[in-house]
Amino acid sequence: MSISLSRPRALAFSLPAIIAILPFMGACFYIFRFSISAEKGVIDGYSIQAYIDLMTPFFGRSVWLTLKLAFVATVIAMMLAVPLAFLLTSLKSPLARRCLTVTILLPLILNLLVQAYGWILLLGPSGVLNSTLKALGIIERPIFLLFNETGVLLGLIQTSLPLAVFPIVSSVRGLSQEHLEAASSLGASHWRTFVDVTVPLLRPGLVGAASIVFAFNASAFAIPLLLGGRRVQMMGVAIRDMISPLFNWSGAAAAGMILITLTLIVLVFSSWLVRVTSEKVRG
Amino acid sequence: MRVGLLPTEGKSTYRFMVLFLATIGILISSLPVIVVTIMSFSGSDNTGFPPPELSLRWYWDVVAMFTQEDANSAQSVVDSTVTSLLVAFIVMVISTMVCIPLAYALARGDRRIREGMELLFTLPLVFPLVILGIAFLLIAESLRLDIGIWRIVIPHVALVLPFVLRNCIGAMNGISVETEEAAISLGASPLRAIWDVVIPLMRAGILAGLIFALIISFNEFTITFFMYTIDVSTLPIWMYSRTVSSLDPSTLALSVFIIVADIVLIVLVDKLIAGRANLF
Repeated sequence: MSISLSRPRALAFSLPAIIAILPFMGACFYIFRFSISAEKGVIDGYSIQAYIDLMTPFFGRSVWLTLKLAFVATVIAMMLAVPLAFLLTSLKSPLARRCLTVTILLPLILNLLVQAYGWILLLGPSGVLNSTLKALGIIERPIFLLFNETGVLLGLIQTSLPLAVFPIVSSVRGLSQEHLEAASSLGASHWRTFVDVTVPLLRPGLVGAASIVFAFNASAFAIPLLLGGRRVQMMGVAIRDMISPLFNWSGAAAAGMILITLTLIVLVFSSWLVRVTSEKVRG
Repeated sequence: MRVGLLPTEGKSTYRFMVLFLATIGILISSLPVIVVTIMSFSGSDNTGFPPPELSLRWYWDVVAMFTQEDANSAQSVVDSTVTSLLVAFIVMVISTMVCIPLAYALARGDRRIREGMELLFTLPLVFPLVILGIAFLLIAESLRLDIGIWRIVIPHVALVLPFVLRNCIGAMNGISVETEEAAISLGASPLRAIWDVVIPLMRAGILAGLIFALIISFNEFTITFFMYTIDVSTLPIWMYSRTVSSLDPSTLALSVFIIVADIVLIVLVDKLIAGRANLF
């Protein structure tokens, strides 16, 4: 005798969750429908005017800035995440491991406002960094790190780091010990093992983590809003401005569709990259 | 001989670089939270560093904010906190109630359906929050329904589903069909076997999911930023409206309460799933 789930029962079990996610799917469809509406304020008729109106130098700069910041933040986050994952998996004491897990995970969960306060206190004109540098006599006047790209970049790296570390930790756990031992017993140095063995073996995990981090950073809203001020117009903030002072709903929907498309392209491209490279490694 | 990714002996540049970059990562992760905590104990009125003296005055301010009526603010901190907790509680209950049966159906059902459903329920995780916020706002505005607190609950449920489902599926993976069959062969009905055998075994994963839903909803800012109204607003929105012009130290003291609560809950989740599943 085995327990086979009958089709009606499986459906009955899945139905509540499907109802719960229905508003989300509705929202995805709604934003698409609004972006091709002929009217700016209501859904009426079909037109691609909203997309054409977006072809301005201002919006182009916003797209470029978004891609640039998201890319740089992703590269730096990955450079920090790999050593962190190595450290996390090689810690012996459960207490140390738990402390490190909480430290890394907290920025993803904690209220983004609190973290923005932290960066403001750290980087502000009379903040920790400027006061320390001034006390040490390194600088005379405060350096401005807030409300420009540097501040936003640091905030993005911090909040997206957990999304990079934990997938890498699971791929590091799955790393075969034999390969590392073989490399080591054949006399390879640590660097050589890292470049020639560890990274190729981790590549699917690395690419997957990097693409999620990129998507997360490209669609960031709270961090550029709070740390970038009006000067760093990433797409999330630009979309908000279309709604809040301008009431250009269809324009905001169209800009949103462009943002979704950009992140989807990155996600699809990276999964294709993983497939191609892993076939090559196996072949 | 075990070859670690982090060599334990010697002074190689490799080991130095790994530890150096990991330290920078830890600093970037933790410094903002540490600075907020230090500055909340400052005795001065501004947020200059270093604090000239240490005091607990801003903590007393927070206590006063919660205990005394504030006549000159439209939305009091007490109302926002109550709303935040109520939203987080409803989100927690709904998302877990719908994810337990789904996790069961996916674990025991068709493999292809399972992969599709897992993908569908991961989508809210990678979907840009700002667009989700705008989409929900557009729908709420065009339907013109007065649904009160539910205008925040519904988007939050969608947002936490990926986290809760992952934990529930992780819990189901460890439960063999044989346990259930044993209960049925002893005379239990299939539903009773689920209720009395499977669900108690899933307990750790379910609890982890519950806590995850609670903290994510309680800390959510972006979607709520679009959905709040004068009557329905959460604590993060209250903090934002208070600090939009300048940062005052009592908000930092309030932040420390939130930080401590979050850390306690994360440690609890980490203990519950204890290496059996991935955090997300």
